[in-house]
Amino acid sequence: MTVIKKIGLGLFIGFVAIQFIQPTRNKSNTILPMDIEKIVAEPANVSTILKTSCYDCHSNNTLYPWYSFIQPGGWLMASHIKNGKAMLNFSQFGELSERKQQNKLQGIINQVKDGEMPISSYRLIHPNAVLTPAQKTILINWAASVKDSLSSNN
Amino acid sequence: MKNIILGLALLTTVLAACNNSSSEKKDNTASDAQSTNTPVDTSAKQVTATTETTATVSIAEILNGYLKMKNAFAKDDSKEAGAASNEMVKSFSSFNKTALTTEQAKIYNDIEDDAREHAEHIGSNAGNIKHQREHFDMLSKDIYQLVKTFGGGQKLYYDHCPMYNDGKGANWLSETKDIANPYLGKSMPTCGTVKEELK
Repeated sequence: MTVIKKIGLGLFIGFVAIQFIQPTRNKSNTILPMDIEKIVAEPANVSTILKTSCYDCHSNNTLYPWYSFIQPGGWLMASHIKNGKAMLNFSQFGELSERKQQNKLQGIINQVKDGEMPISSYRLIHPNAVLTPAQKTILINWAASVKDSLSSNN
Repeated sequence: MKNIILGLALLTTVLAACNNSSSEKKDNTASDAQSTNTPVDTSAKQVTATTETTATVSIAEILNGYLKMKNAFAKDDSKEAGAASNEMVKSFSSFNKTALTTEQAKIYNDIEDDAREHAEHIGSNAGNIKHQREHFDMLSKDIYQLVKTFGGGQKLYYDHCPMYNDGKGANWLSETKDIANPYLGKSMPTCGTVKEELK
């Protein structure tokens, strides 16, 4: 057996072994009272954009692709989801302070405008999540109007 | 067979390599941790010790971090801004809340919860000054309210830049009357006006 074969075999065994370590799934069918859709008006077109381009990492309910069962891809995904939800979780938006809600909405506007969200690695494997200029405008305008409606200065 | 093994090995390596890219640091400890640190009392120059309650509360350390950050942004220095914001995060942790009344604590915690997150973001985004400044904009509002509530302990100016944010404008706090714009930096250093003087 050549060295390369040995290394290859070792990696293969390792690859098979890690398949048994599956991360917990981010799945929930309950819509909490603090979900953003319960607090503010969410037009159908906005809702579609959010679900397609944002909710995989920013809600309590991820639509998992088949390869999420293959490690280490699934781990990578789990860490993205964890980070994403820590930054912003639409499913629990209502539990944030007004100050934070205002800033999260501003953050959404900034990130979408700058083309930072959805992140590039996500866009690469989810081409349908890429926001068109029209979708960006819809999302930004919605976030801006929600920001106004949730502001107590109004 | 050999090719399949090599292929799989390659795939594993590639997938593993992706992992260490965008792992943004997240430590959302909204600080209910009772800080046992003894705060450094730098309130010596606090000239506006008007009421009993504000006399013992000093946001000087937090403010110092903020002003350092502001000056770094004015010089377009993303790294230094990041370093200053890390200092600021520490000063939040060492802030002595025991002197606060229940009402004050409520205001403070609300502001800190938000401001700390912005500071952490600015710290972890050294190199991306555009994103840092977006958070600095929001942070400035928090710090302004902190100063309004607890007093800054020094003369401060609340400045306004009309151009940032596609003409929507943004504000910042400064210790000098002269304008040094932290949003536009060296490209527009003197853009802005003093909106309010805070003693």
